[in-house]
Amino acid sequence: MKFLIKTNSLTHCYRSGTKDEVKALDNVSMEIHQGEILAITGQNGSGKSTLARHFNALLLPSKGEVSVKGLSTSNKQNIPLIRKIIGMVFQNPDNQLVTSLVEEDIAFGPENLGLPQPEIIERVNWALHTMGLQELRRENPHSLSEGQKQKVAIAGVLAMKPECIILDEPTAHLDPRGRREVLESILQLNREENITIVLLTHFMNEVIHCDRMLVMDNGSIKIAGSPCDLFQNGENLKKSGLELPVASKIAEGLRQEGFNIKPNIINMEDLVESICQLK
Amino acid sequence: MELTKNITLGVYLPGKSKIHNLDPRTKILAVTLIIILLLLSRSYVAFAFSAIFIGALVIISGIPAGYALRGLKPMLPVLVIMWFFQLFLFKSPGATVYFNWWIFEATAAGLHMGNLIILRVLFLFIVTTFLTLTTSVVNLTDGLESLLKPLRMIGLPSQELVMTLVIALRFVLILAEELEKIMKAQMARGVAFDRGNFIQKTKKIFPVFLPLFIGAFKRAEELIVAMDARSYTGGKGRTKMKTLQMSNADFSAAAIMLIYSGIIITTIIFTPPMI
Repeated sequence: MKFLIKTNSLTHCYRSGTKDEVKALDNVSMEIHQGEILAITGQNGSGKSTLARHFNALLLPSKGEVSVKGLSTSNKQNIPLIRKIIGMVFQNPDNQLVTSLVEEDIAFGPENLGLPQPEIIERVNWALHTMGLQELRRENPHSLSEGQKQKVAIAGVLAMKPECIILDEPTAHLDPRGRREVLESILQLNREENITIVLLTHFMNEVIHCDRMLVMDNGSIKIAGSPCDLFQNGENLKKSGLELPVASKIAEGLRQEGFNIKPNIINMEDLVESICQLK
Repeated sequence: MELTKNITLGVYLPGKSKIHNLDPRTKILAVTLIIILLLLSRSYVAFAFSAIFIGALVIISGIPAGYALRGLKPMLPVLVIMWFFQLFLFKSPGATVYFNWWIFEATAAGLHMGNLIILRVLFLFIVTTFLTLTTSVVNLTDGLESLLKPLRMIGLPSQELVMTLVIALRFVLILAEELEKIMKAQMARGVAFDRGNFIQKTKKIFPVFLPLFIGAFKRAEELIVAMDARSYTGGKGRTKMKTLQMSNADFSAAAIMLIYSGIIITTIIFTPPMI
């Protein structure tokens, strides 16, 4: 199995050396596989953002090592290449869009890479098309909905042709419709463009679409596995301050009432199917 | 409380006229030249020629004249006060005196000085508004970046400066919206911004600006991280998606500007100044 990103006993301290030193990450060893969708969950302050920012060298380890395709982030010369391989989308779209025109913003990344002009145009067109934003290319991001803005932000990262996109709570600012739209485009990128996705999220309904999930608590990884397996052991998740997805909760409740509900239920379709088979 | 509606910075009226389609560099240079000529003009004849020329430009651009003048309204009281100041306080020995009371003396020299200043402000305003009405913000910044590029040789970080301008223009609307939100939140808790005397009103502004500034710094910090993640390392090594291209229309425009400059310079030399 090829690892895209690998951390080795990664420890990170904020304000290290002072008396307010905070250990945000404690001895984290994990890897991210090429082509997977990985969810990282955990409460605020659990260290998931800090961990994600190590993947593209926005933060550097206090101790331990992070490597991307074998390139260590601690080596300064690797950083431009690492940032090309790994793109990052942040929570608030307003604070990551740079220009006042959608297509110019998407061109910002490729322009930074110093690509020739025809290639920039081609990539911008491709990213607009992939995210379904062609009609909005001449708009000011200010006039778009939050969901559309976030899609522009993703397109801006996509135009840099990364192998992996990290999304730091990309749907936290969005309404349910925007959330669904953004999640769908993320899943589509994984499916059709084979881009590795790392999704930091609070929403268990987003986690159920992922191949694997990590639960962070207090700076270290508490639980790891497939969402399907983890949601069977609801107790462990609750200890880390997380909730089960709605479908699993209902299934659990019905089972306790003595109904014969299939195990491994995490989404609504399976739950409905299982309930219909009762009687 | 609709702050975002009152912001007219960089208002652009999309259109397909010859003026809209000119290269932004041509327009920026032409407007700069017109401004310099206006500042040199001291005779009514020169202003009359400029008025005809600028009027013709506005007609060609297809922008309604009322639109080009709309922004003047809030400036009107200031202009009137300026005119009166010049009329009564500008002194020139030997000028005809129209009116005399205490320290106030309205003279012919004052009248002309007042007219000169009003004409200049008026024309400068119309010309710069005309530029932003016919040129989108994106084109303006592209043009500016291209024009300032040679100054890199003498150490001016022109690309970074233009990037700063681009970001500032993007955040004007966002911060205006945030200001509105903060004010509404405080109104909901009983602050009445429109009540009280001048000092009381001013005092109420501080609790509004503090959160606004803190918010702006937070946004700036997030933006820096996001730009960093998108490989921004300053202007060096950056390429552009769009390159500006001069066309025949731009050369015609240059020729027209040359003729206009000739006429204005001739009138400046050969017609009597106002004062």
